[in-house]
Amino acid sequence: MIIQHCIANPLTTIRTPRRLSHPGTVLTRTGDSVEPSQIVAQAVMLPDFRIVDVAQELDVPLRSANSYFKVERGQAISEGDILASKGRFGSRVCQAPFTGKVAGVGRGRLLLQGEPQIVRLNALVPGYIVEAEPGEGVVIETVGGFIQALWGNGYEAHGVLRMLVREAAHPIRATLINASSQGSILIGGSTLDEGTIEHAKEMRVRGMIVGSVPAGLIPQLREAGFPVIATEGIGTTPMTQAIFDLLRSLDGREASISGDIGNRWHPMRPYIVIPMPTQVGRAIQTDAPLAIGERVRLLRGTYRGRSGTIQKKLAKRVQLETGARLPGAAVDIGEGELVRVPYVNLERLF
Amino acid sequence: MAEAHNIDSILIVDCGTVITKLLLLERVGDAYQFVAQAETQTTGKPPWNDLSIGVVQGVQELESITGRTLYARGRIAVPCTGQEGVDAFMVILSAVQPLRVVLAGLVREMSLESGRRAVRGTYATIEATLSREGNLRAPQETWARTIRDLMPDAVLLVGGVDGGARRPVLELAEAVALASSMLEEERRPTVIYAGNTALRSQVTKLLGDITHVVTTDNVRPTTDTEHLGPAQSALEELYTEERLRTAPGIEGLSAWSRLPLLPVATAFSHVVDFLWHREGNADRGVLGVDVGATTTTMAATFQGRSYVSVYEHGVANGLIDWVETHGLDRILRWIPTEMDEESLLAMLYNTELQPSTIPQTTQELWVELAVVREMLRATLSTAGPAWDIGEAAMQATNVMPRTDPILISGGGIVLSPRPGQSLLAILDGLQPVGISTLLLDSSRAVPAIGAVAAIKPLAAASALESGALVSLGTVISPVGQAKLGEIVMRMGITYDGGRALNVEAHYGEIEVWPLLDGQRATLEIHPGRRIDIGMGPGQGGKVEVLGGLVGLVVDARGRPLHLPSNPDRRRRTLNRWIWDVGG
Repeated sequence: MIIQHCIANPLTTIRTPRRLSHPGTVLTRTGDSVEPSQIVAQAVMLPDFRIVDVAQELDVPLRSANSYFKVERGQAISEGDILASKGRFGSRVCQAPFTGKVAGVGRGRLLLQGEPQIVRLNALVPGYIVEAEPGEGVVIETVGGFIQALWGNGYEAHGVLRMLVREAAHPIRATLINASSQGSILIGGSTLDEGTIEHAKEMRVRGMIVGSVPAGLIPQLREAGFPVIATEGIGTTPMTQAIFDLLRSLDGREASISGDIGNRWHPMRPYIVIPMPTQVGRAIQTDAPLAIGERVRLLRGTYRGRSGTIQKKLAKRVQLETGARLPGAAVDIGEGELVRVPYVNLERLF
Repeated sequence: MAEAHNIDSILIVDCGTVITKLLLLERVGDAYQFVAQAETQTTGKPPWNDLSIGVVQGVQELESITGRTLYARGRIAVPCTGQEGVDAFMVILSAVQPLRVVLAGLVREMSLESGRRAVRGTYATIEATLSREGNLRAPQETWARTIRDLMPDAVLLVGGVDGGARRPVLELAEAVALASSMLEEERRPTVIYAGNTALRSQVTKLLGDITHVVTTDNVRPTTDTEHLGPAQSALEELYTEERLRTAPGIEGLSAWSRLPLLPVATAFSHVVDFLWHREGNADRGVLGVDVGATTTTMAATFQGRSYVSVYEHGVANGLIDWVETHGLDRILRWIPTEMDEESLLAMLYNTELQPSTIPQTTQELWVELAVVREMLRATLSTAGPAWDIGEAAMQATNVMPRTDPILISGGGIVLSPRPGQSLLAILDGLQPVGISTLLLDSSRAVPAIGAVAAIKPLAAASALESGALVSLGTVISPVGQAKLGEIVMRMGITYDGGRALNVEAHYGEIEVWPLLDGQRATLEIHPGRRIDIGMGPGQGGKVEVLGGLVGLVVDARGRPLHLPSNPDRRRRTLNRWIWDVGG
């Protein structure tokens, strides 16, 4: 039986892949030590291009258009250069829209190509390069805390963790953010609102970690300019207590966070890496069979976002409120409360 | 692999985007039956990134059920020797990204529409449509930029009837050539040319040195004919090459089987086609719907011609994109309890983030079934126009053509806890007309049966007859104008054994009479003067029908179905319908 899992661990060995979106050049080698802001790879993006229809723009016959060209194939051009012209005074001209080169000439048209843009990829996390795939990217190994989340707004950052609330059920409010928040990654319990995001922008916070984000705020969060990560997904569900407790214990430490969720065909989990000054992290065995006493998180229904421990693997199927019957377990969610949950709606917490 | 006539046992693996199903089919006496099945999470995405992990897990479960060894020495044991292994091992797949296609053509209602239908015949998404429409300032530059930026897997180039337009098609081809030449060789799209056949050699000459070109028959050879088959085959072949054969972990699975990988939609359509030929009713079609987590497939056969259409949204993945295009109201209108937009949107987002979870509360179930209804409606509206249904299957304009049976598959719908819930979602989503038997693929074996049909048709037919499908019941859907509460038809039900019942159906209502699974009855139907049950307005007659898990259903709510606009009234109406069908 394969059950989903989520890593929320204070000390483990973390392998962070850093991949270029386009083929490029890897600038580091296996064994190199890297810092979060260090560039580990770069790629040349496809340059801008433009087709200039000289015959049409100068209003000349297609057959004779080439005789009006002032440039030739392969020639470098600067923005504003005359590419073709007709007549001396009050003449019509075609000008270069950008700096680059003439990539092609034919049928009364010029194909212009802009200057290549370079995209640089930083390490994001400190550590050692353990894999370097030429042209594609690297894998960085770090020892420290590692927490996987469910949703993120696509941005990444490195900064100091600052816990702003006392309880997992408490939201981050704008009033909790002040000048001392600048450059920090702020941690809240449940959720945030529009005012909080705007105030966080003004105070130049480095990032935010909350339990959930309201669905209606997602368009605004995608434009926030800094990473926002939700450990429980979308809505108002408070942060799972186990994750909240772990983050509280790491308050004040440096962390790297990624809010990249990939796309529907290549999904990724947002994550938080908290490097520790030690060489050995606990290995996580994700393929071991589910055991009694193991930590799990509940993913659906009334208890969504609650964590607990497996009390019993049930021989009989669990009957849900919907009437469905599925294999499942009894989970102790604290204070003596036992709930029966189908395995498909559970996530193991490592 | 054993010769086809020696195949006594077949293991079929169906890798869906969320669930991987394993089915073991064996000869038992003269028949073939599914002797064991297992299912596990699909492991093609992170954190596993290897489909074979889930498959091996599922095989171990099958071994514990059957007591047989199927997996030995690091592979599926093929062929069967004694108590070890199976005679054939097959893999069908939908757990991979669809082909990303840019469609280029001339006229929206003609070649582009045909091109669009061709693309929908397999797992493919149209990333952009290029045409001269919209008064582009620099069309070739815009087209080239679109292709270059999107870097699609394929460009389907259509346009011009045979012997028709030339220059506009070549301009499109030039733009494709320009865009391709700017991309690195391995990122250049395959060009499938299915336009004016007179231009084949020119298009090949223009593009052949730059990228791979496949030429097929014109999808629109004349203004009023459409010929999609060859273009669909080319796309399916490309999908198999580019996606199925490169799925994470597939090399291991392929090495264990000498049989070709098959897309699930293709396998599913084989069964729909088989049912049409088995039923032998030229005056109606057979319809199949497979509502999955990521895609919704609709397969239909009319007059012996098969159609398959894959809609790029399912009950979990792609929901938010769908809502952004179609609006949240479309889903909200089917929810029978009070729910605000923010909560609904949050639930849809979370379903997309965790697609392998299932509804745990009744509210979550209503949301999922609301999504099912809309996926069915949307798929039907894209698939339907391609069907050449013939005069006989047409009952009235603007309604679905007559189909019987309707085959229902896919975890998105067959896992509903109560049969009435599945039935009502189908009736609301498809809004069938006339008389239809609803067959539920409760064990989700139909795609596997379709795959088996490719190597051993008799085994597939035998498996289908041996209880793979469960009847939900027979549904009579009268069409015509009437007042709410007016009697639209009277019906005499004579059960096997002679017991008889006389009933009436009222406009606006959905009514269910007892007719158990496996039980048959003869109906004598007398519709109202302006009411059509598929025999013509006011025409009735005797028909023999099959019972099912829900019973004999008369859906007299009218076509198209109208929901009250007042939210309270709408919710009351929805709850009444749910109550009526035992949902």
